[in-house]
Amino acid sequence: MTGVVITGWSTVSPAGVGRAALAAAAATVPAVATVPAAATVPVGASAGGGWPVEPLPAAPVDVTALSDEPLPTTTGHALVDFDVRAHLGRKGTSFYDRATALAVVACGDALRDAAVQVDDGNRARLGVVLGTSLGSFRSTSDYTRETLVQDKPYLVNPVLFPNTVMNCAAGQAAIRHGLRGVNATVATGPLAFLDALRYGTNAIARGYVDAMLVGAVEEFSPHRAWTTSLTGQPVPTGEAAAVFLLARADQSGWVGPRREAEVLALATAYGPGGGPAADRALTGCVTRAVRRAGIDPAEITCVFTGETGPEDTDEFAPACAALGHVPARMRVSRLFGRCDAATGGLALATFLAAPPTDAAGRLALLTARSPDGGTAVAIVRGWPDAGPADR
Amino acid sequence: MNRVVVTGLGPVSSIGIGVSAFTDGLREGRSGISPIRSFDASGFPHRNAGEVPGFRPEALLRRIDPARWGRSGQFAAAAARLALADSGLDPATVAVDRAGVVVGTTSGESVVVEAVTAQQVEAGFGGMDPDLLRQVPAGRLAHAVSTELELAGESLTLATACSASNYAIGYAYDTLATGEADVMFAGGADSVCRWAHAGFFRLGALTADACSPFDRDRSGILTGEGGAILMLETLEHARHRGARIYAEVLGYGLNCDANHPVAPDRASIAACMRAAHRNASIKPEDVDYICAHGTGTPANDSVEAQAIFDVFGDRVPPVSSIKSMIGHTMGAASGFGAIAGTLAIAHGFLPPTINWANPDPALVGLDPVPNTARQASVRVVQNNGFAFGGNNAIVLIGAVE
Repeated sequence: MTGVVITGWSTVSPAGVGRAALAAAAATVPAVATVPAAATVPVGASAGGGWPVEPLPAAPVDVTALSDEPLPTTTGHALVDFDVRAHLGRKGTSFYDRATALAVVACGDALRDAAVQVDDGNRARLGVVLGTSLGSFRSTSDYTRETLVQDKPYLVNPVLFPNTVMNCAAGQAAIRHGLRGVNATVATGPLAFLDALRYGTNAIARGYVDAMLVGAVEEFSPHRAWTTSLTGQPVPTGEAAAVFLLARADQSGWVGPRREAEVLALATAYGPGGGPAADRALTGCVTRAVRRAGIDPAEITCVFTGETGPEDTDEFAPACAALGHVPARMRVSRLFGRCDAATGGLALATFLAAPPTDAAGRLALLTARSPDGGTAVAIVRGWPDAGPADR
Repeated sequence: MNRVVVTGLGPVSSIGIGVSAFTDGLREGRSGISPIRSFDASGFPHRNAGEVPGFRPEALLRRIDPARWGRSGQFAAAAARLALADSGLDPATVAVDRAGVVVGTTSGESVVVEAVTAQQVEAGFGGMDPDLLRQVPAGRLAHAVSTELELAGESLTLATACSASNYAIGYAYDTLATGEADVMFAGGADSVCRWAHAGFFRLGALTADACSPFDRDRSGILTGEGGAILMLETLEHARHRGARIYAEVLGYGLNCDANHPVAPDRASIAACMRAAHRNASIKPEDVDYICAHGTGTPANDSVEAQAIFDVFGDRVPPVSSIKSMIGHTMGAASGFGAIAGTLAIAHGFLPPTINWANPDPALVGLDPVPNTARQASVRVVQNNGFAFGGNNAIVLIGAVE
C-alpha cells in the first residue's frame, strides 16, 4: 500500500481532449471478447473472460496535415486538429513544440478535473513528473538539422534551444500552471508512464511534496512515424498525453471528496534478451507487486498491457503465470496506436473511464516492457465512484 | 530508514578516467579542454570543448558491444564498471534484483540523433538506419549499465537536464533508504554534440577557450562530456561486507522555478538549498564546502552566489566549480560534482576553480578556491545542480559519523 490516491485526470489523445472524450471513444468502439491463445494460458489456470471486453482496433485517421515531409503512410492515430491556442491562448505558447503543448494542456485539464486551485499557499507542495522516450525527437532532430543545412552551423534559433532538452514539457507545465514542487522527467520509453507513477508516488510518500501531476506524452511527428515504419512496428504511430493528480490519502486539503483510485503497488526490474530472463523479470515484478499490495491475485480482473502485435503475449503470458489465472486483457495500442511513453497513461485512463461493474471497486494490473529488457508493473484499485457517472 | 553510503566512484572524464586519475586531476587543477574532434567544428567561431578523447570503451566494457549502444550509454556503462571495481564488491554476493541503476542525462543519445539526422539530410527520412533508430531512446543509458553489470533491479533514466545526476543520486538514495534495494549505481552521462554547441553559442552562453567561473570577466560555459557514476549501498550492507566507505549521502532537495525556461532564479535556488538542508537534517553552518553548479556564465554564477549569501549569511563556506576544469558535462555535471565532493571528504582537500584571475566586486565574500587545490578538513559537502526548465537539485554528502 502506498497511501497515494488519484483524484482526477485528463488525456489529450486521438479521441479528443479530456476524460469524457476518452470515455466516449472507448465505449463506442465495437468490442469482441478475446480468448487468449492456448499457449498463453498457464498450466493449472482457468481461462476466464472477466472485465472489460477488449475493443477491436480503432481505424487510423489521415495524418498528412501534420507533416511537411513525406510520411511512410498517410494514416495514424493523432489528434489532427489539436490547436494549443484554442486551449491556452497565444501568449507563452508560440514556441511550444507539439509534445509540450499536448502535455501542458493535459496537466491543466487534470488540475481542473481534480478541483485543485494552484495558489501561493500550495504551489511549492505540488510538482509534476512526465514520462517520455527522448523528449521531442522532432525538435531535437530539426535543431541539429539546422546546424547542417544553414550557411553557418550556428545559425540556429536560440528560443527553440530549450525544446531540444527532454525536460521541456515538464518545465513548461510548471511555468504555465505555477508548480514549484518536485519537477522531473523520466525517459524510459514504453516504461515511462509506470516509472513516472513510481517516481511521483515516491516523492509524495517521502514527503517532498503533497501532490504530483503524473503523466506521459508522445507527439505525432514524421520522425516517429518513420521510426515506426523503418523498425517494422506492427501498429501505426499514435500520440497522446495522459496526466493524473496524485495525492496522499490523508491530505484532506488535496484529496477532497473525490477519490477515483488508489495506487496499491509498483515494481520494476530488468531482464534483457527477450527470453526466459525477460519473462522472469516480469513475473518477479507482478509477484512483488501483489505482495506489496496485500491483495489476492484472483481479484485482478484485467491486465492492461503495452503489447502491440496481434500475436504478442510477451507481457500477458508472464503476468498470467504470476497471477495464477487468466484475467481479461486490454491492449490500448489497439485504440490509440503506438504511443510509447504515453501507453501506460492511456491504459490507466481507459481503466478509470470504464463504467464500474460493481460497488466493491476493481483491481487492474498494468504492465510494460521495453525492447532492451526494462519491465514495470502497477496494481491500481479503481473505486466505485470512478468513471463517467461521477461527473 | 536505512543510512546510505558511497563506496565506489566511477569517473570517465576529460581530466582522468578512473578514480585515481580523476583525483589527481582535481588536485592538480588540470584542464580537460581541447579542440573539438568529435564533430567538424570548423564553421563555429568557438571550437573547444571538454571531450574525453582518451575514452576507449572496448578497454573498459566487458559485456555490452559498443557497436550496439550510443556514446552516452557507453559512458554510463564504463563509469558504472569503474565504480563497481572501485567498490571491491563481489557482485555474486548481491541478489541481482536488489541492485539497480539510475542515470541522469540532458540529451541522451545525442550523437545517435545527430547521425540519423545527417542521414535524413542526405537521403530523406526513409534513409535513416533502423539499427541507429533503435539506439535513439534515452532509456538505454540506464539499460546499458544494467546490461553491462547484469543488474536485475530498477533501470531508470531521468532526463532532468543539467541537474539530472543529482536527481538520480537522490532517487537512488530513496530506493536504498526505504529498503527497495541494497546496492544502486547512480549518476549521469552525456556526449558533446553539434546542436548543444550551436544552441549555447546562440544563447551567448559559450566562451572561447577557458571557462572561468566566479571570475569578474567570466564569459560562459564550455560544453563537456563523460560518465559519472557512484556506487551507493546501505550502511548496513557496506559494513557487513567490510567495505571501504567514502562518505554518506545525507539527503537532497528538489524544486522548480516555474518561472523561465533558461534563466536561473535566486529565491527558488535559495529555497532548494533550504529544502536540501532540512531533508538532510543539517544546518547551513555544518556545510564545509559547496561544489557549485558554477557554469561560468555571468548570470548563473551571480544568481547562485547571491542565493548562497541569502542562505549562509556571513558564514559562507568555500565555493568552487569543477566546470572550470572539465567544462559543462550537462547531465553528468552534478555526478562529477558528487564524486569531487566525496573525494573532498575522503582525502581532505578542496578542488579548485581554475582560470580564475580577478575577483568579481559583486561577489565579495565568496571564496572560489582559486586555481590551486587546498588542504582542508571537510565533513559536509553541498553539491549544487541547476537546469533548464528550472529543475533545481541539491545533494548533501557527509563524512560517516
